[in-house]
Amino acid sequence: MNWTYRGKCWKFGDNLGIDGDVMPLRFALERELDPAVLRDWLMTGIDPDFPRKVSPGDIIVAGRRFGQGNPHIQGFLGIVGHGLGLVAETIPRGSFRNAINAGLPFLSGCAGVTGDVETGDDLEVDFRTGAFHNLTRNLSRRFPPLDARLQAIVEAGGWRPNLERRLARLRAGGSVVA
Amino acid sequence: MGKTITEKILSRVTGDDVSAGDIVYPEPELVTIHDWYVVNFDKALEELGVERLYDPDKVLICTDHEPVAVSPAAAERQKKVREIVAKFGIRRFFDAGRGGHGHVFPVEMGFVWPGMFVEAYDVHVTNFGAVGALAIPLLIEITEVLACGSVWLRAPETVRVNLTGKLSAGTGIRDVAQKLICDLGAERVDYSVVEYGGPALASIDIAGRHTLCNTPIDIGAKSVLVEPDGSTLDYLAGRVDGPVEPVVSDPDAGFREVVDYDLDVMEPQVAVPPTPDCVVGVSEVAGRAVDHAFIGSCAAANLGDLRAAAEILAGNRVHPRVRFIVTPGTQEVMAAAETEGLLRLFAEAGAMITQPGCGPCAGGRIGGVADGETSINTGTRNDYGRLGSQKAEIYLAGAATVAASAVSGEIADPRDLLD
Repeated sequence: MNWTYRGKCWKFGDNLGIDGDVMPLRFALERELDPAVLRDWLMTGIDPDFPRKVSPGDIIVAGRRFGQGNPHIQGFLGIVGHGLGLVAETIPRGSFRNAINAGLPFLSGCAGVTGDVETGDDLEVDFRTGAFHNLTRNLSRRFPPLDARLQAIVEAGGWRPNLERRLARLRAGGSVVA
Repeated sequence: MGKTITEKILSRVTGDDVSAGDIVYPEPELVTIHDWYVVNFDKALEELGVERLYDPDKVLICTDHEPVAVSPAAAERQKKVREIVAKFGIRRFFDAGRGGHGHVFPVEMGFVWPGMFVEAYDVHVTNFGAVGALAIPLLIEITEVLACGSVWLRAPETVRVNLTGKLSAGTGIRDVAQKLICDLGAERVDYSVVEYGGPALASIDIAGRHTLCNTPIDIGAKSVLVEPDGSTLDYLAGRVDGPVEPVVSDPDAGFREVVDYDLDVMEPQVAVPPTPDCVVGVSEVAGRAVDHAFIGSCAAANLGDLRAAAEILAGNRVHPRVRFIVTPGTQEVMAAAETEGLLRLFAEAGAMITQPGCGPCAGGRIGGVADGETSINTGTRNDYGRLGSQKAEIYLAGAATVAASAVSGEIADPRDLLD
């Protein structure tokens, strides 16, 4: 898996709701889990054209409490569906867990990051190390990366593939801890 | 720096030196799952090709959400649950009539002890914190625990709540537990364990501690527990086999916050729609007509709650407009209530007494409400739809307030009936 993303910045503010802002609630109610379906509705609550503007490798940069609300995984699967990365100032606990379980490379706990970027900036982010570069503004930051055990789940592809990997190890008589 | 109870428990079960924020894979010593989820986990395991559980002896299954099957579909589901339990060789199976509420009877039966680590499907398993266990709800990720023995956990921080003062006359622990979550607020406890201690703890029995451990999960706490003390050890003596070692936080533990909280909340408290932390004094809502009243749920179905209701009902009758349901939490509570004459008193007053378990609080499948009706009850949540109808208003309160309202036909201050 490639942990370094190079692409365009898409900047958002604080308190984006996982239901409504990031993904229409109906997909949670319908229990839709296919990233290829969900990608076409990503962020349409804020910008109806968003799914047509982004390219794989682009990076969403958001403020505090990204994905707040009743924790539904669909918004994060939509981000995965486009091959985007996510850098947020904070992510509430339920959504943090869903982001891992969706297999999304992301950084959380990136205080002040929205002050360092504007939409359209050229960014390069190494999600394994937390190295963050705004190439447009010639500015570099270092944010806390995900714990290695969580990176292992993201690397496996999220909750289901990671569970299957653990089961395979278990059947082989090995350790089941990631 | 010292460690919190939570850090000590996670350190013991993982064998690592765990601090808040660490990512760990702790193996629970008990896993509880309720009747309604059993068919779902079986299907999920089948899709994964899992034919045996990681450790079936750690798993406890109970029939409490719908103990009395009220439809052919429910009877079929109960049958399927029995087949699944047999298939996986789960020995700790408490079918209808065998235990009662799965967040309560495992403590009564001595399956839970101070310092124990528990994981569960259902959120109010935090009740197990009443005796100092760390119990964490996982919802569907419990499937991974059944298959692999653990799932990842970010070790939570702890908010320490030191209880002080005394209950004022006519109020109970439920009033405190409800007002506390309103006063603390969701942001302060997000992803933390609420740990109770302090000088007033000694005045609160294990049943009251269940109630204190029940409410914070509804504002986003990760878990809730009580620092074990002499009352804990007295209660567990004769229930738990073998020695019980209290696990307490170090004096220099790194708490996120330490809060003093006075048990004197002035007057009985009522949570108004649509969330359990919208809490006001009973005087603000007294006089609103009610159609339905219910005492029960994992938040308040112990003997003390039934006694408090009986004190109000003695010499009174349930108001003609009101359907009043009493659901003792467990078989043990129901039997004790019978011995004390409480069940007879309820029956004579015009109440319905149902099989121990969740009662109407489990989605209103048993004894729910219709559109436009109003309920006051001791359940855990008051979201629209919790008792069946999406168009019913639900108020939550302590047992005395619910009983007073059932008698009055409107939300009432129990102190007016006790004078």
